[in-house]
Amino acid sequence: MIISKQEFLDRTQLDRETLEVWIEEEWLVPSGTAPEVAFSEADVARAALIRDLMQDLGVNDEGVGVILNLLDQMHGLRRVLAGTLQSVRQQSAPPNTES
Amino acid sequence: MKDPYEILGVARTAAPEDIRKAYRRLAKKLHPDLNPGDKESEERFKEVAGAYDLLSDQDKRQRFDSGELDASGAERPRERFYRDFAGEAPAGHPYENHSGFADFAEADDILAELFRRRAQEARRAPGPDLHYRLSIDFLDAVNGATKRLTLPNGGSLDVTIPTGIQEGQTLRLRGKGARSVGEGEAGDALVEISINPHRFFTRQGDDIHVDLPITLAEAVLGARVRVPTPTGPVMLTVPKGSNTGAVLRLKGKGVPRRGGHGDELVGLKVMLPPEPNPELEAFLSSWAPGSSYDPRRDMEP
Repeated sequence: MIISKQEFLDRTQLDRETLEVWIEEEWLVPSGTAPEVAFSEADVARAALIRDLMQDLGVNDEGVGVILNLLDQMHGLRRVLAGTLQSVRQQSAPPNTES
Repeated sequence: MKDPYEILGVARTAAPEDIRKAYRRLAKKLHPDLNPGDKESEERFKEVAGAYDLLSDQDKRQRFDSGELDASGAERPRERFYRDFAGEAPAGHPYENHSGFADFAEADDILAELFRRRAQEARRAPGPDLHYRLSIDFLDAVNGATKRLTLPNGGSLDVTIPTGIQEGQTLRLRGKGARSVGEGEAGDALVEISINPHRFFTRQGDDIHVDLPITLAEAVLGARVRVPTPTGPVMLTVPKGSNTGAVLRLKGKGVPRRGGHGDELVGLKVMLPPEPNPELEAFLSSWAPGSSYDPRRDMEP
């Protein structure tokens, strides 16, 4: 589902300036081309995470970038690991034996 | 609903700064996006976040302390966490970053090798064992035999029963189980033996028990009688004056065992003629056995 910029701002309760900074920092990468940018549900959740990090966990601006980068790497690794485990399971599943 | 002070692990008198510190410490540990693999962390994080929401607001905290506000009233609704999206799309997420394993380029080769070996092992693995049940006659169990087991798939299997096999014993026939799916050896056939009871033999360990009926005359006068044994009848001397319940031992006529055989134990049972016999009645009426003949003497009080 595509979310417009205004709807995104409403749902995340961000102000326009903050959003511009976050996009500039590449914490958020909306699809589409400026000024007609489009957001996804994942972007809404990611914005909530950034807000949690900054407001509740006391992470400063530099820290947010570091954490997001590491998180993104971790999700990449989790996906590859999940795929690998899936292949291993398929390989090691006992074939159907005729009785 | 648990007490929010308890959830955050702070005293009721804690300063706002302490509450914030306690919350941060817990949130760092529990935030679902910082624990993408831990499903439980989400529930606990929501609990912690709800407690913080209540206690971080001076007004709400006062109302809660005075009992005006219920702890559950402070729970904060939360949309889906970022981690729920990160693992979702099959193609991966636009934010997903693969530099975490760019140095694993050769991992593909290692995995390919691993899979090749596993496939080879699977080919070499032996076939599964197959389980059967075979019930055999009592005498076959004692003397040993060869039995043909008819298999569900129409084939048959010759089973050699060793002498003296016990009830419930399992015989393993190597290589008679299911074929390997690859090039491995066939599995084993496991045949569990059950033994049908015999008409008059019973078995106790390596000994055979049999009750042998004898006539009144054989009991009183003594005799040589034919006794069945698992290996065929033998002659047995019944001593003069043998009573019901006397047990005679035939050495070596029991079940074969390591280094010899058990015994056959023959229990005697005196039987009167099946029909009333006038001569026997006449004789016994005139017979005076004497005062020492009282079989119930031991039962007197």
